[in-house]
Amino acid sequence: MPVAVFGLNHNTAPIEIREKLFVSEDAIPHLTRELKEKGIDENIVLSTCNRTEFYFSCENPEAALDKFHQTLSKYFHIQGGWLKKYTYLLTNENAYRHLFLVASGLDSMVVGEPQILGQVKDAYRFATDCNTTGFFLDKVFHKTFNVAKRIRSETKVGYNPVSISGMAIELAKKIFGELQGKKILVIGVGEMCEIAIKYFKKDGVGDIYITNRTFQNAQKLADEIAGVPYPFGDLQDLLVRIDMVLSSTGSEKPIIDKELVSFVMKKRKQKPLFFIDIAVPRDVEPSVNDIENVYLYDIDDLKELSQKHLSDRLAESEKARAIVDEEVEKFAVWLKQLDKGPLISNIYERVEEIRSRELKRILQKHQDIDDETVRSMEMLTKSIVNKLVHPHVAMIKENGSPIIIELMKKLFNLEDEDEKDVDDRHEG
Amino acid sequence: MFILFLIALGLYLISTIFYLVFLVIDRKNIEIIGHFSLLAGFIVHFLATCFRYFQAGYTPITNLHESLSFLSLCIAGFFLFLKRTYKISILGSIIVPLLSLMFIWALSLPNDIKPLAPILQSYWLPIHTIFAFVGNSIFFVSFFVSVLYLFLERGIKRKRFSPISSRFPSLEVLDSINYRCMSYGFPFLTIGIITGSLWAGIAWGSYWSWDPKETWSLITWIVYAILIHNRLAIGWRGRKTAYMMIVGFFSILFTFLGINFVIGGLHSYL
Repeated sequence: MPVAVFGLNHNTAPIEIREKLFVSEDAIPHLTRELKEKGIDENIVLSTCNRTEFYFSCENPEAALDKFHQTLSKYFHIQGGWLKKYTYLLTNENAYRHLFLVASGLDSMVVGEPQILGQVKDAYRFATDCNTTGFFLDKVFHKTFNVAKRIRSETKVGYNPVSISGMAIELAKKIFGELQGKKILVIGVGEMCEIAIKYFKKDGVGDIYITNRTFQNAQKLADEIAGVPYPFGDLQDLLVRIDMVLSSTGSEKPIIDKELVSFVMKKRKQKPLFFIDIAVPRDVEPSVNDIENVYLYDIDDLKELSQKHLSDRLAESEKARAIVDEEVEKFAVWLKQLDKGPLISNIYERVEEIRSRELKRILQKHQDIDDETVRSMEMLTKSIVNKLVHPHVAMIKENGSPIIIELMKKLFNLEDEDEKDVDDRHEG
Repeated sequence: MFILFLIALGLYLISTIFYLVFLVIDRKNIEIIGHFSLLAGFIVHFLATCFRYFQAGYTPITNLHESLSFLSLCIAGFFLFLKRTYKISILGSIIVPLLSLMFIWALSLPNDIKPLAPILQSYWLPIHTIFAFVGNSIFFVSFFVSVLYLFLERGIKRKRFSPISSRFPSLEVLDSINYRCMSYGFPFLTIGIITGSLWAGIAWGSYWSWDPKETWSLITWIVYAILIHNRLAIGWRGRKTAYMMIVGFFSILFTFLGINFVIGGLHSYL
């Protein structure tokens, strides 16, 4: 049975459309059941902020397209024609190539981002729970996880961080190693700070101190992210106690100058200090970086590094795509073996071969048989053979499950090209 | 017995190969093979040294062959010791090849057991030499830790990273290894010098005769003493520590080899 994918992503649909077609986890069971009722037995829903895709397997994917349009337009309350513009349908090789690319982050907005693999895994698990996967999708998804793993270990496509926050954490780790127990001071309460600090928290940073010119705002942010607020006047004291500074105030002039940091470093007994200055205009005087054991990165430094990482990733993604191509080819060969069309004709060929050989042997022994009888014998044997084979073929056509296919191959001795040759020689 | 040394060398060489491959191909299992062949090499080397001790009847650190062999043994041992606490596999790609080379050099020198010179026949021989050598090997390792530190620090300061530095331990870890090396190495060095001096007092009748080796080991000692003092008193860390460690190492190198080859004196065994 062909595997196919129907859906949209950030390349084909703008955010307004993607928002509309977002399928929340709660909605998945309902939607998949509906699709199942419409005859799309195997289906898996992958919905993230950048894509909504339905992986499915059925006899005629093109015909299934209409069912999708119906179901989805009803479900999302949109006009059917609308969907056509933004969606794509990929079948067979193109479908699983697409899934391989998606799962390994090669189809993501930020190439190589690692979250997508988790999302694909979740989608698959969810489908298993809802009982909407089947033999083919199982195979395709398991293969996908293998491919993604292989790409992760053989290329560096997801290796270096590319976001500003990710970059800052990477640098902090270069300086401090693990961030557990490290103290960070946040100056300013902007949105950038908030995002960055969440990343730091995720990486296990220890105490978070927050200071701001308006103390109330510091307090508010502190409540939100479980930090400790301090009045702005404590800045010097705080600088002695912490390991990292994340600064993003709206100040026109630098609030931290070389003199202050030099003084602080003496009090710190030269313990390293890392400044992440994401404010524009900058909060920390650039010359602070000249002080020993002090490391200062401003927003441009971080952007430049992340740009470099991004271009590294693009270079690596070429390698990754080569791996995908290779795996697609291998998988296609494997799937072809499951194809039942050739199997049926092979069965007929096989029995015809046996029938004609046996008949020939008899005719050679009895030279005196007349043409009329020969023709009758031909017809008789053919009809016997066909009557015997027919139920098997019907079974394959009806239920082409891999078990049946394997069984039939065994029954008719079609295991392998090489094996067949050996058997022939035996009989000959 | 010599065959044991050769087996140890073989294991060190296997470890060297795997650590060099690890430099290019960042795979954990490659490093693991390197690690365990180093460990096996160390054990065999240690046994071989013990055998030699029993065969010779004295601590086998009396000539250049024995010294180099023992030094490489100590380096392997100390590196393995550090690896228990720190993730410093990448350091193996420098240290293991070098200690293997050192060991090859040792084995290429005349290795027959000769009767011990009367002047060396003393219970101070094992005490003095073992302390001095363990101290030296600790500072050997810290030299490379310092080089890594300076390399990585420069990258972070200048905001330019070479791809290899992503596999280095963090600055903090490198600095703390240096600190540990300092706090282990310095006592060993100090005891090595004191016991040497006591031995000299018995053997030569004078505790300190400003023999070049003595002078240079004192210089080395002063370098490390300054380092420790400044670290504890005014918080010398990071780059300054690393630079001093490098100076100290060259001082050791000169004390250990330079004196033998260039100047000569009471300590030269060639």
